[in-house]
Parts: sequence; C-alpha cells; structure tokens
Amino acid sequence: MATPIPMAASTDRVFEAVALKKEYDDGTVKALRGVDFHINQGEFVAIVGQSGSGKSTLLQMLGALDRPSAGTLKFRGTSLADRADLAAFRALEVGFIFQAFHLLPTFTAIENVQIPMFETKHSVSERQQRAIKLLTAVGLAERLHHFPSKLSGGERQRVAIARSLANGPSVLLADEPTGNLDSENSDIVLDLIVRLRREQNITLILVTHDMGIARKAERVITMKDGRIISDGRNETSQPD
Amino acid sequence: MTFFTVVVRGLLRRPVRTGLTLVGISIGIAAVVALVGMASGYEKGIGKQLDVIGIDVVVSNMSGGILPKVYEASLQERIAKLPHVADTTAILMQMLSIEDAPMMMVSGRQWGGFAWEKLKLIEGRMPRDGTEKAVVLGRLAAEVLKKKIGDKVQIEADELPVVGIVDGQALVENGAIILSLPVLQEVTGNEGKVNFIDIRLTPKSTKEEVTRLCEQVKEIFPAGRAMVASEVVGTSQGFRIARAMSWSTSILAIVVGVLGVMNTMMMTVFERTQEICVLLAIGWKRSRIVRMVLWESALLGFLGGLCGVAIGVVGVKLLTTLPSIRGMLEPDLNPRLLGTAVGIAVVVGLVSGLYPAWRSSRLTPSHALHG
Repeated sequence: MATPIPMAASTDRVFEAVALKKEYDDGTVKALRGVDFHINQGEFVAIVGQSGSGKSTLLQMLGALDRPSAGTLKFRGTSLADRADLAAFRALEVGFIFQAFHLLPTFTAIENVQIPMFETKHSVSERQQRAIKLLTAVGLAERLHHFPSKLSGGERQRVAIARSLANGPSVLLADEPTGNLDSENSDIVLDLIVRLRREQNITLILVTHDMGIARKAERVITMKDGRIISDGRNETSQPD
Repeated sequence: MTFFTVVVRGLLRRPVRTGLTLVGISIGIAAVVALVGMASGYEKGIGKQLDVIGIDVVVSNMSGGILPKVYEASLQERIAKLPHVADTTAILMQMLSIEDAPMMMVSGRQWGGFAWEKLKLIEGRMPRDGTEKAVVLGRLAAEVLKKKIGDKVQIEADELPVVGIVDGQALVENGAIILSLPVLQEVTGNEGKVNFIDIRLTPKSTKEEVTRLCEQVKEIFPAGRAMVASEVVGTSQGFRIARAMSWSTSILAIVVGVLGVMNTMMMTVFERTQEICVLLAIGWKRSRIVRMVLWESALLGFLGGLCGVAIGVVGVKLLTTLPSIRGMLEPDLNPRLLGTAVGIAVVVGLVSGLYPAWRSSRLTPSHALHG
C-alpha cells in the first residue's frame, strides 16, 4: 500500500521535524518519543493512529499551539522555537480546522470568518468582502448571517473551513474534521477541503483515525505510542 | 465587524448576568452621585447664604459638630472695635427637630443686624422688635411645615406664632425658621450665647488687613477662629465630616461594584476558556485577548456609570421632595461630578478586569483541540 518517501529538496519543505519529543506531567506522560519527518509544499498528508498514539499532539506542535519538550521543528527552514511571533505564525501561515468546529456562538457565519482577520491590516470592508467570498466558496452564500446554532453540523464545519482560510494560509491543519459529522456531510466536507487545498495549492495535514479518509491522502503517516511506525506514499490514493 | 463588535457580543453573551452586574455598578455610582452631590450641594447652599447676607468674615468656635459650639455673645463688642470692621451681627443657629420635620435650621438673629437685610417679605410682617416671641419662615420652611400666617410653630417647649413668610434668596435661608436672637436664646436656654459673629469689612480692605484682623480675633477669642467667608465651607469640621462620610460610603459602594464586575469577568473568562483558546489557536495575540477582556469590563463600567448617574440624579431629586430633607439642601449635580462618577465607573471596570484579563492571557492555545 505505501512506498517510502523520496528525499525532497530542503526548499520544498514546509515542516521538518528532528527527534521531536513532547512530555507532560514532568515526563511521566510521553506523547511524542522522538519523531523525525518532513512535509513538502502542497502535500496532502494524513496522520493516522489510535487514540493516544500522539497524532493530535503532533498536530499541536505543527500548529505552534504547544512547544516541544525536545528536538527541532522547522517551518520553511526556520525553527519554530526561534520565532518570537508564534501568534503571527498561527494567524498567517496555518489554518486550523477542529473536530468540534469551535465557532464562536455569539457571532454569525460571516463574523466568525472575519475573526482571524483582526490580525491583518485589512479594513473592515475588506474583511467583510473576503468573508463573503470564502463563504460563497464553501457554498454558504445564503447563510452569511446565520448564527452557528441555526446551522447544521456540516454547515458549521464549512464555516470553520472558510475561517481557516481567512488569512490565506499555506498550510491547513485539520484535526478529525469529519469526526462530528454523519457520513453524507463527512463526504461533502472532506471533498470541499480537498478541492480547496488543490485549488489553492495548500499543504494539508489531516489527523484522523478513519482509514477511509486517510485513503484520500497522498501520504499516510501512521503513529503508535508516540512514534511514527510507517510513513509512505498512498498507492491507493483516490484522485481529488 | 469591528473589534468593538467583539467586545459588545462578549457582554451580550449572558444578558441577565451582564444586566445584574450593571445594576450593581449603577447602585454604587448612584450612591456616589447622591451622597457627594448632596454634601456638595449643602456646602454650596451655605456658601451662597453667606454671600447673600453679605458676610465677609465669620467668627465661630473651633469645636462642635455640624454647627460650632456656642460662645459668649459679649465678644461681639470687642470684635466690633477691631480695625477694618465695618459692622457685626450675632447669630445663634441651631439644628432642631421641629414638629414633623426631623431637622430644621433655626436662626436667631441679632435684632436690627444686617442678617435681616436681605429677607424679602412675601406675606405678613417681620417681628415688631427684638423681644417679640414670633418667627418668620423661609418660604420652603413654610411649605415643609405646612404653616401660614397666624399658625404656631413649636420650638422646644414654646409655641411661637408665624408672623411672616420671607424669601431669603438662598436655599438655606428659605429653609430656615428665623427669629430674634434673644428669643431663640431664651427658648433654647442659651441666654447670652451665640455661635456665629458675622463681620462686614470696611470697603477696600486688603488681604493682608483681613489676615491681620483674623489674627486679632484669635487673640481675643483663643478657642475660636475667624475665617474669610469663602473659606468657611472648605475648612468647617462639619463639612469635612459630611464630605468624608459621603466619600467613604461611596468608596464602600464602589468596592462592592468592583467585586461584582470582577466576579462577572472571572465567570466570563472561565466560561469562555475554550473560546479564548480557539482565538489564540487561530492567531489572536495574547495582548488582543487582554484588550478584549479589559474593554468588556471597561464598557460594563461605562454603561453602569451612565445608568448610575441617571439613577443618582433621579433618586436625589426624589429625595429632596421628602419632607425631612426638603428645603434643607439643593443637591449639586454639576457636570463635573457626573463626569467624575462615570470616570470612576470606567476605572472600576478596568481595575475589575485586570485579574480576569491576566488569567485569560495565561491560557494556552492547545486547549482548543480538547473537547
């Protein structure tokens, strides 16, 4: 099913991890036990594994939501540990899609999409126009002014996808993006993410325990007990 | 959508709790407006009274409560002989419970003295002489006591007929019962005693001459003091006590307001932990989160301040219609006081938001992936 990853030129590398470790509770919990990998520009990578395998922890490291306990994680050649502006990194370089959507309940769809744009220099009208464009792209042009409570699960996740693209990131990080959806909405949301990723040449790193979803990725990293146990091209990857 | 929209939505998330917090701040600010406004109004009323009567220097005892203690009226003769003194008049002023009114100003004035000059007769007549056991009422005092010419007013054990109703051109004057000094001395058992000797200066007296005069009075009357009229209100112990009480009560109310806002903002931060983590995860800087919390608490304070000022103004107006207060004082609800009250409310909001804001800034974005 999988073939080894050929070495890419370092300039193509979006992320490069060397001996990456993450420990909690003074080392009693070892979530990552020395992980080495690199991810290239434009790749669609699925990270799979059972609960507790360390896949979500790895996603946190990639999104700079947490700092590694040891090892190096580079983004486009620069160690994230050396970056003073991690908030700017999260705002501009990566987009997050969460399993539980995490839309702000007191804001409408169009407002939720504008939230990350506060960290840019866009004017109020520019933010609004961009949010309309993104929501139209995810098929929610008719739901701009709906609050999350008035949207279906699939629609909420589509708003979250639009929000993740608000600042035009080069990397999308998705944590079980279809985990809270029925199969029909799962397909719609996954197809949407894959299509947008292809159209905008975005690197997509998706954490899932669903092998059906992983099969859509070009590359699958399998984790177990905080280690990568396999990393290879997905020969059965379905075309976008 | 602007950042302000985000702030407002944060407050509207729990409208009932926000509303109750607003009520808490409003009551605190209303207390500030009411207490300080009334104390200040009382001070201004006394100041205006001194001005209307034309008093330049006031001689009174150093000690006493709201009103200074009485002293020998015979001092007046010696003071009248001092340089730059054009005229003097002796007054015995008492705060007494009169019939249904718990506290009224009763002013016994030296017969023929200049303190009678500015009283304009509206109805009836003035006392015939300094010995007539009769009173004239300021027009507000007549309203409060519901008295007309010919009625009797009970002062201590005596019943004195009302012979006139006057306009004293100052609130304190209009709220007073005025009678001849010897009559009040007799009625209250203060024969030969006064608590104010008011001085009018000779024209063009210099500041240095007035200062010297005050020193000379002090030599004659070591237990007392002479003060330029404009300084009486600022230095009076009674007024200082009133001011201190009004502010200390206000501060207590403000402290309660701070605790209320802090509780609300802490609850807000706790409830929105995951939301804040999501905001951090999607790129908001910690400083923006801190600003959001501080803006919310400041806005809460500002709105509470506005409501509090409105409640305070309306409340004070209603209070001054009460029989026990009516005619005693006119609250001084000047724009500066109202602005200060709103400013205090905003500061209360900001201070209350500091700890919750700090707590929110300590959250880590990785919590966004949980739950």
